[in-house]
Amino acid sequence: MNDKHLNEKELWSEVASMLGNRSKSFGRHWSFNYRNDPKRLAFVLSRYKFAAKMACKNKSILELGCSEGIGAPILSEFALQYTGVDSDEEAINTAIENLPDPRFRFIKGDIFDGSFGQHDTVISLDVIEHIFEKYEQQFFNVILASLNKDGICIIGTPNLTSESYASSGSKAGHVNLYDADRLAHLMGQYFHNVFLFGMNDEVVHTGFLPMSHYLICVGCYIKTQRETNGTE
Amino acid sequence: MVQNRSRWDEVTDMMDVKSVSLGRYLAYWFDKSPRRTLHYMSYYKFASKIIGKNKRVLDIGCSEGLGTYLLAKECGFATGIDLDEDAINTARSNWDSSNIEFICNDFFSMPAGSWDAIVSFDVIEHIFPKHINRFWKGVLGNLETTGITIIGTPNETSQIHASSVSKKGHVNVYSMDRLEEEMGKYFHHIFCFGANDEIVHTGFHPMLHYLFAIGCKPRKSGGKECK
Repeated sequence: MNDKHLNEKELWSEVASMLGNRSKSFGRHWSFNYRNDPKRLAFVLSRYKFAAKMACKNKSILELGCSEGIGAPILSEFALQYTGVDSDEEAINTAIENLPDPRFRFIKGDIFDGSFGQHDTVISLDVIEHIFEKYEQQFFNVILASLNKDGICIIGTPNLTSESYASSGSKAGHVNLYDADRLAHLMGQYFHNVFLFGMNDEVVHTGFLPMSHYLICVGCYIKTQRETNGTE
Repeated sequence: MVQNRSRWDEVTDMMDVKSVSLGRYLAYWFDKSPRRTLHYMSYYKFASKIIGKNKRVLDIGCSEGLGTYLLAKECGFATGIDLDEDAINTARSNWDSSNIEFICNDFFSMPAGSWDAIVSFDVIEHIFPKHINRFWKGVLGNLETTGITIIGTPNETSQIHASSVSKKGHVNVYSMDRLEEEMGKYFHHIFCFGANDEIVHTGFHPMLHYLFAIGCKPRKSGGKECK
């Protein structure tokens, strides 16, 4: 303790003055999530942290389905650049307002447009379960078109086996849920090396996949077109 | 009571398999630091999950094969290699099924193979830095082009807590940064994990007790073409 201070309140105000005076606010999506189930913020940030540790150091990152950009700061802690794409204009505006970092770029756009440049890593969490199965291949075409030759892809999605516990709001949007085998098989069509992880709450692990609440799949070593067609 | 007894007999009948024995290395650790066996098995479980099913796995530095058996059972087929004859004899006496085999050999003169995955735990810290390139060439020379390598080694920062027996053999202890950089010369992709006790995670590197690095997509310049 520094005895030049008269009291704790003065000491604290010195600490507080070091923190700046910026504020941020959640947009509609995350305000709802937070009020409805605050734990979810921990789970979602943990997914981003895992992705950041897997494939973000000194890399250029593209996030498909970034919503309000809540993952951008964690993903970019070690990354060179971050681009987030979402079709929800309100969410993108929230992201731009909250995160004025020159390394960040937020794009309001349809993820199927696919013209977001080439990146070292493409991350897409909680997106694929909202894409009808017939567009699945188109989604991966966008991912591959956005990846450099030695790119890495990280896909996260709720496990099919957890669906009976999902809220009605979640369920309404989930038109294409995966179990671990189907996710691994799909990723295996595009990548030579596919690694599956499970999550329960904020813990990422390699435990028994049918009891994992959430699935994260990491793909690397991109297959050539011919190798991809050969896996069918 | 009599009925309970006979039911238990039925259960024990189902467990009528050949006993597994721990040799001098594992027995020592089991007495000295029984938790270490837990940590060790958790490392192998992690590797088996990363590798997946129906794969052929080489376990370099398999010691008595306790983990090699887990790899064989979970992944499909495993070969353990170790330079210690006692350890290999223990391994062979425990497991003789068709999906597991053991080779007594050093890691520098391994016969060239073509494995889907190579696992090597607690080996590189015992290899003098001047010989480490030979180790990596041995690894790459034994890997399929789409094969992966999982290396495990204690973190440099944990060494002040290591026992004297552990420290004695550790001539090349790594930090995550150095492990990642070194493996990056031989693989395009490196994924870093760590463990504290039996928990494998992706937390802050300097506080990890044990390090894992997964190497994918072997670099052509570092592999078979490179003499």
